Amino acid sequence: MGMFLLTRAFYSVITLWLLVSIVFGLVRLTGDPVKMKAEAGADEAYMQQLRRDWGLDQPVYRQYTSFLGNLVRGDFGHSFTKSLAVRTIYFDRLPNSLKLGLAAFAISMLLGVPLGMLSALKPNTWLDSFGKMFALLGLSMPGFFIGLVLVIIFGVELGWLPVLGKGQSAFVWREPFTWVAFWFQDWQYLAMPAFALGWYFSGAMLRITRSSMLEVIGSDYIKLMRLKGIPEWVVMAKHALKNSLIPILTLAGLNLLVMINVAVVVEVVFNWPGVGQLLYDALVNRDFPMVQGVVLMSGLLIVVLNFVIDVLYAYTDPRIRLSR
Amino acid sequence: MRRGMFAVVAVLALWLVLIWGEAATPAADPILSGPLVKLDIKDAEVAAVRGKPKGTLTVGMHVALDPGWLDPLEHIPAITQQHYDYLVHDALIKPMPQGELTYSLAEHAEVAADFTKAAFRLRPGLKFHDGHPLTTADVKWTYENYKGVHAKTFHDKLERIEIVDDRTIIFHFKGPFIDFLDLYNGITTGIGWILPKHYYEQVGRDGFKSRPIGAGPFKFVSQEPGVQMVFEAWEEYWRRPPATKTIMVRGIRDLAARMAGLQTGELDLTYGMTGKLLSRVMADTKLRWNRNFTSPWWLVFPGYNEPDSPFHDKRVRQAVSLAINRQFLARQETQGIGIPWGNWISTEIRDALRGDGKDLPVPEYDPEKAKQLLAQAGFSNGLDFEWYVPFPPYFDMGERILTDLRAVGIRSKMQTLEGPVFRAQVAQGRRGYPGNRTVVQNIDPRPGGAKANIGVYAVCGSPSSFVCEPRVEELWAKHQASLDLAERERLVKEIQRILIEEYYFVPIYVNPFVHAVGPKILPEGDGVQHYWDTLHAPYPWPWEVWEVKG
Repeated sequence: MGMFLLTRAFYSVITLWLLVSIVFGLVRLTGDPVKMKAEAGADEAYMQQLRRDWGLDQPVYRQYTSFLGNLVRGDFGHSFTKSLAVRTIYFDRLPNSLKLGLAAFAISMLLGVPLGMLSALKPNTWLDSFGKMFALLGLSMPGFFIGLVLVIIFGVELGWLPVLGKGQSAFVWREPFTWVAFWFQDWQYLAMPAFALGWYFSGAMLRITRSSMLEVIGSDYIKLMRLKGIPEWVVMAKHALKNSLIPILTLAGLNLLVMINVAVVVEVVFNWPGVGQLLYDALVNRDFPMVQGVVLMSGLLIVVLNFVIDVLYAYTDPRIRLSR
Repeated sequence: MRRGMFAVVAVLALWLVLIWGEAATPAADPILSGPLVKLDIKDAEVAAVRGKPKGTLTVGMHVALDPGWLDPLEHIPAITQQHYDYLVHDALIKPMPQGELTYSLAEHAEVAADFTKAAFRLRPGLKFHDGHPLTTADVKWTYENYKGVHAKTFHDKLERIEIVDDRTIIFHFKGPFIDFLDLYNGITTGIGWILPKHYYEQVGRDGFKSRPIGAGPFKFVSQEPGVQMVFEAWEEYWRRPPATKTIMVRGIRDLAARMAGLQTGELDLTYGMTGKLLSRVMADTKLRWNRNFTSPWWLVFPGYNEPDSPFHDKRVRQAVSLAINRQFLARQETQGIGIPWGNWISTEIRDALRGDGKDLPVPEYDPEKAKQLLAQAGFSNGLDFEWYVPFPPYFDMGERILTDLRAVGIRSKMQTLEGPVFRAQVAQGRRGYPGNRTVVQNIDPRPGGAKANIGVYAVCGSPSSFVCEPRVEELWAKHQASLDLAERERLVKEIQRILIEEYYFVPIYVNPFVHAVGPKILPEGDGVQHYWDTLHAPYPWPWEVWEVKG
């Protein structure tokens, strides 16, 4: 197991280095950020000053080495468009994205997995049809549409829920007492964006749970257990569900990453100050340090989560653990 | 006893001398010797009664917020930054409802007749939010450390800064600096917004952006970068205590989200309520709105002066103008608020010719004549050009204009760009567009007089130039060499006439950048319109007058 963990960690570092290097090169192909900041009439001296301030007057290889050097010291650079350290801005936004992502993830799991199981247990019944319909709607309706409908009904017409932002709750890294309160305050701000984001993913979870369960339920060892007279709920909960978990876990992990990192559309509709919107703004404005910083941190999150999923695989399926 | 009495009298006498000394520098006492330019600077309105601030005003801005906007030393060219200048900082002179140039921190200003010197006298008793006195040392430091837009112009032209005393300062220039007041007045650059030397040096650049202090009507409280900023009334502001206790600005890019926020009462003031949702704003009886005219839309033809460009022929450019149904367009795009206009420079801008028939005619809509002109120019079967590039996100408007053009046989495709990319291309002028078969739709409510627009877009040497014409260059050279303000005005008007009559710019209509307010804003009814009284202001400053229900 130790060797397994070490190998995974080594691959993770290589992956991250490749990721930031590719992003470093690619964002520089998208255009000159100084020109993005300079409007008509801006004099050349002003643009040169910006270029110097942002270190863009240096050759690219020097920008790269200085970028890697700073990275090792934990410095992601300064945002071109938000004028502060990337690290400060990113860690300001990350708790918001985690809050939204985890809430949407919970919705997707709580709705998707049980409904998928029920659909699999009662195939071709009204329950299965309802599950399929629920999944189809969630997968086919774009997040912004669901968001706008929710805003109009629950925000504008009924006035039950606020429509903008995350409320005044704040996660302050230097104040540990905010760390717990943050997750439980202002839930009314969270309800609509979490549902708009979570519905799509619950549809996907429902479908994968249903198909995975159906496959397991049809297998010989389940039939054998039933023949032996083991109670149905034990067969389902202990044996069928556990053996159908691998694809569910894989999808759940990926979904969580997407919900945390790239929930741009829902963030825009509800003005939720998350990482997705930050990345989108940075891309549009050619804010190189911000793009690099956000991609690196998202990559790190992916690597860590993949690592956790790998460990869970190994726990769930001993064959994986033993094969390595 | 006698000695005691003497001491009291002596102290009283000293106090009187000090008081008299303070008052002995009347505002209008001359600073410079020799002939002066006659300046039209309006007096500030100082409130006689000092009320108590109350309530919270929540503003929904249409872009993500940048903490850099809190630091005028690094002022960007976009006028968005002045939104924050007017909140936290104060300038010696600035545009106010009283006039384009209005005294603020300064109570007196002079400019030498040869434009080589400018002098200011500050009001007595000025201070920053932390209670530190604001003096001419801060004015000098701000000038010397400024590195935002036009910094090079200011530094190149400066010979030295003379501090006469804590309230009196003289700028000595190497030669005539005619545009000094236009650039220093707080609306075009950041150099006129005075920063606290002691604090900036103590906290540094990043520290200042994170937690700025200034001498403006609102103190900075907190910010979430890109998301929101909170400001609180500074009751000791010299002009008047702000009427509103707290101003919270939130960056909300999505128009539908701003609309919903206004309807639910989460926002009290929002910008950019144009396009598809304008009719909903107008129909909602709880909301009030201001037309907030900014500037006319205009079309321009990059590379028109190259012989192989279809737009080289004036008749083709004229046909483009004749093909556009401006009335219909304004009705569709702005619910009829937009005013078809015959000039490309904003109506409010000094020295701009009016485009409503007074100085320049309102452009005609005559598709038949457009077809005839195209035929005369050798395009009897119409013509195809490469790209039509609308100003983002006004893509519907671009489609409508393309439809009008197609109706007379001028065909093209639309190129949709993100805002920053579009602005970056426009900033490069003709060089921003490869080939010479492109039409660009732009708008620019640029302060600084009509000369500023011409200097940016219509003279050969400008990095953002689209027009390079010998006749214009000749007049522009005369303008730049002249110290006679009347002659400069005449020349600027003459250039505008050429630019319009030759169809180098095709104006469309004056664009309303509608702002909407919710029910919490006082006064009730139409009384809110006075918040938009400041000339050249795309946003409703000054903020200290905004009043909300407590």
